[in-house]
Amino acid sequence: MSIAGKRPRPNPIADDGDELRFCSTCAFSDACLSQGYNKSDLRELHVLVEHVGPFHEGEHIFREGDEFNAIAAVRAGTVKTYVVDAAGQEQVLGFHLPGEIIGLNAISEARYPCNAVALDTVMLCRFSFPKMALLATRMPGLQAQLFKLLSQDIGKAALLAGDYTADERMAAFLVALSRRFAQRGFSATRLHLTMTRTDIANYLRLAPETVSRVLRRLQEEGLVKVERRELEISDLPRLEALARVVLRN
Amino acid sequence: MAAIPPFDAELLRRYDRPGPRYTSYPTAPQFRTDFGPEDFIRAARLSNDDPIPRRLSLYAHIPFCFSPCFYCGCNRIITRDLSRGEAYLERLVREVSMLGPLFDRDREVMQVHLGGGTPNFLGANQIGALMESLQTHFRFSESPERDFSIELDPRFMRASDIEALAFIGFNRASLGVQDFDPAVQKAVNRIQSVEETMAVIEACRRHGFRSVNVDLIYGLPLQTREGFSRTLDTVIQARPDRLAIYSYAHLPQLFRPQKQIDPSQLPSPEDKLGLLQLAIEKLSAAGYAYIGMDHFALPGDDLALAQARGGLHRNFMGYTTHAECDLIGVGVSAISHVGDCFAQNPRDLPSWEAAIDAGRLPTWRGLQLEEDDVLRADLIQQLMCQGEVDVRELEDRHGIDFATYFATELDRLPPLEADGLVERVDGRIRATSRGRLLLRIIAACFDRYLHQAQAEPARFSKAI
Repeated sequence: MSIAGKRPRPNPIADDGDELRFCSTCAFSDACLSQGYNKSDLRELHVLVEHVGPFHEGEHIFREGDEFNAIAAVRAGTVKTYVVDAAGQEQVLGFHLPGEIIGLNAISEARYPCNAVALDTVMLCRFSFPKMALLATRMPGLQAQLFKLLSQDIGKAALLAGDYTADERMAAFLVALSRRFAQRGFSATRLHLTMTRTDIANYLRLAPETVSRVLRRLQEEGLVKVERRELEISDLPRLEALARVVLRN
Repeated sequence: MAAIPPFDAELLRRYDRPGPRYTSYPTAPQFRTDFGPEDFIRAARLSNDDPIPRRLSLYAHIPFCFSPCFYCGCNRIITRDLSRGEAYLERLVREVSMLGPLFDRDREVMQVHLGGGTPNFLGANQIGALMESLQTHFRFSESPERDFSIELDPRFMRASDIEALAFIGFNRASLGVQDFDPAVQKAVNRIQSVEETMAVIEACRRHGFRSVNVDLIYGLPLQTREGFSRTLDTVIQARPDRLAIYSYAHLPQLFRPQKQIDPSQLPSPEDKLGLLQLAIEKLSAAGYAYIGMDHFALPGDDLALAQARGGLHRNFMGYTTHAECDLIGVGVSAISHVGDCFAQNPRDLPSWEAAIDAGRLPTWRGLQLEEDDVLRADLIQQLMCQGEVDVRELEDRHGIDFATYFATELDRLPPLEADGLVERVDGRIRATSRGRLLLRIIAACFDRYLHQAQAEPARFSKAI
């Protein structure tokens, strides 16, 4: 069998950062690239960074109650964050894709308020938070970026709290995924879903059967094509129209 | 691909060699015994987790036969002791009850198939009990497109049994005939009258079966053009919706029952090809469409319609319209195909029974497909069902550059092209009308395991 002829999947690690640049997918790349920092500033920022992983499917990155000391940017793979409620039921808080940050919601309590688990093979960049906070006082760009990420994180959680139909929730979920992938340079219309349907259902506050029923309906209406874990958005404008009430743009 | 391919004796003779029939890829000999029940359970769980989990197809194997047909290469047990059927059924029901909970309830069963052996070794009430247990542990689709099919031996059927089967929900039947010629029937130990066969076909129609399939075999001992011609006329007159014309392969070392056949009575290779030619000509004249391999169907049959719109698939039960189903097999030797896994039960009854009695899933061996397997399975499936491969589509779906990935495989095609079996046009690799009777030869070019085996002949040499 030949491995030759196999097209590589988009891999953020392929354009790894160096001493002066973050990986292009990184949430902090804006903070350094455009701000005109000098070499020593950038070096200082990079010293905070530690590449960790790989974490394998099902492996926990942190658990609820663990002491918080670092936030992390996903370099590759998908991380699911979740809590377990009083009834013992898992509640999915979110899915974190390459370039996105986990651990932001731990800042206030100094402990992680949720669990984070790898859904596939995950690589991370860890940023020591105390050191980063200190550095941010000297680097306004970094501080602005942190505030921006925090406010995005809060906004994301509020999106699905409203009284929306199952179709609207699913459309919003797919459109948001598509935009987040596109932002990091991946395809906006061909998504590889690393999360299970139970996770999707849990996140959207739907029954698993409803997730499948809605997707099947969207497929019959020509908006998406689903084959196992591969999902193709065939009609993004119509899907966006359906999602608009949730995403508001 | 609808028209029946022209017959080319010289070509068929040249390519008449044993090889896989690709009801699966990789084929069953590649299954490994380090694949066990835990792996199957994991595959089931994963398959539930797809955004749209596949629908289900259930297969139950009934291994018993009342009397031995000498040509048979199937996994079967000859007995007239009906109590063995009852004991088997009890364990089947237990296996079903272990499997059901592994699959989410919203996954509808689109297809049920009872095969054998002889499924009607069990009485209609026993078959009813089996279906009831399947329905308890799985959710049957209410769709009119669902296929509930059963293989029937007309020699042991009463018309009233058909009525009962229809009531239970069966809507497709497959009847073994092989040949009506009395001399042939005697030589293969299968005496079956035209009348009892027609009575069963008639009863199936009367009780609303959507389709009836008839199996014939060419290459049997004492078979003649005249006799087989009469058989074909009789069968065509009954107008079965589907027909399978299998080739008899005499391999007595592999299939012990075949030792009963006197090799001197077998038709010569030329005569055997003549029988196939006769069948093809007669079916063609009678308006049947060619589906692929050894299968023919009336143009209005679901298989022919599915093929026309590209919705034909192939699994262990042969050709089917139910594509994207996970297949769950129960009973001795049964094979499951769930997600990217194959899993097979033990082929011998005692091992299967022991597992069930111990409350274990009886998975004996299986295979977790790699990316390369999935890609080749997709390619071979397209070839076997549509007679062609759309190269661009395959590249797109699997993220490969076809010409580079399959460089070695493509080097195997020129001789087949020179023989007019394959052509490459418009980014497609297509079986020509001459090549369509030899699809498996074309598919074999892309079988990684087959060529590995040929590269290391020592592994497969005969133990002397």
